[in-house]
Amino acid sequence: MQTTQLTNEFLQHKGQLKSFLLRLTASVEDAEDIMQDTYIKAAEKIESFRAESSLKTWIFTIAANLAKDNLRAKRRWTEDVTDQGKAAALTDKNFFAEAMQIRMTSPQGAFEIKEHITFCFTCIAKSLPLEQQICILLKEVYEFKVNEITEIVNTTEAMVKYYLHTGRAKMIQIFEGRCALINKEGICHQCTELNGIFNPQQNHQEELNKIEMAKQAHNPDKEHLFDLRMQIVQGIDPFESPSAELQLHHYAHNSRVMENFLKKNEV
Amino acid sequence: MTVANISMAQNGTATTTKTTFSRETTVSINIQANQAIVWSLLTNASDFPRWNSTIVSIDGNIALGEKIQLKSTLDTTRTFKLKVKSFEKESSLSWGDGKGDRTYTITPNGTGGVTFTMTEKIGGLMFPMYAKYIPSFDESFEQFAADLKKEAEIINQTK
Repeated sequence: MQTTQLTNEFLQHKGQLKSFLLRLTASVEDAEDIMQDTYIKAAEKIESFRAESSLKTWIFTIAANLAKDNLRAKRRWTEDVTDQGKAAALTDKNFFAEAMQIRMTSPQGAFEIKEHITFCFTCIAKSLPLEQQICILLKEVYEFKVNEITEIVNTTEAMVKYYLHTGRAKMIQIFEGRCALINKEGICHQCTELNGIFNPQQNHQEELNKIEMAKQAHNPDKEHLFDLRMQIVQGIDPFESPSAELQLHHYAHNSRVMENFLKKNEV
Repeated sequence: MTVANISMAQNGTATTTKTTFSRETTVSINIQANQAIVWSLLTNASDFPRWNSTIVSIDGNIALGEKIQLKSTLDTTRTFKLKVKSFEKESSLSWGDGKGDRTYTITPNGTGGVTFTMTEKIGGLMFPMYAKYIPSFDESFEQFAADLKKEAEIINQTK
């Protein structure tokens, strides 16, 4: 295979790769660095590519291996990350000033509930063991098949199935306990609260009616509700969406909050 | 154990044999799932309560020499402090305390699945003194095996 071909294919998957790396590291800088290193490594090794898998799978394999060594990707967050993020934002006078500035001036400063749902998923998925998080992202968000994930994470098919099932079950359990969109008793209303701040003219109930997962909140099939959540995540590129800059600001905030928390608690 | 008992045990039916100084309960069940999946379920402490209706909680790390704290539905007021005594990856595991040991074995059964066996032997010189206070494990063992089979087979079918 020629380097030109690699470059073309790399550019084709660049968006997905970058968002995958952001979701692992929660850091724009680290995502960009790993993506660059992935290309360099792929170019160096292109002659060893035997087309036993697709080039996309091969590129994601290199990226996942690099991510596994990245400190921010390795760092695991807590399930209550969004609560901690909120508490810190309420005591940080700069947080809302910066966010409002982005909201008012950036072409990617809109606030949309579904974008916050995606942000929330990414943050909470960082509480899973790293292998589980990687498998869940690859399968549920980037639609890789089990045999491709087996290659990307370099483990057996049985273990990929185990990671997928347990990771998914854990996420369903967390959202069921937290997310007020799918459970009236849920303790987290952050997406609608922020919508009230950033879009004061909007009726949040009308906005929720545009979201299938919220419309089907009464559905007892939690697996189905999780699938609907994953459809929302799949549909949003965290770098290209109308809300990208605002959400990236939130990622940076939660990253700082978690780094401080983990340092303090020596986790 | 008699031949009849072995046959019952392999169907997920627990059997108990008693002597003056010990009691042994065994259950065995065929599971149509990869050995690694069954092993992972048995060694991920914090995940137990999600799939196993006989376990309230297990704290600690299930690895050789580690100490774990287990709460079972048999007696939710007690926390058993146990030590992991043997740990053969994907094939056998045991934990216990001074009063008894529980052993888990996973054996490929030649049909792409495994036979899972769980045995708990309790006893000692003082056993006759407290034997009557220890509830039967049979029902709990059968539920454990059934829960493990169900969860492992669901995972094995993941597409």
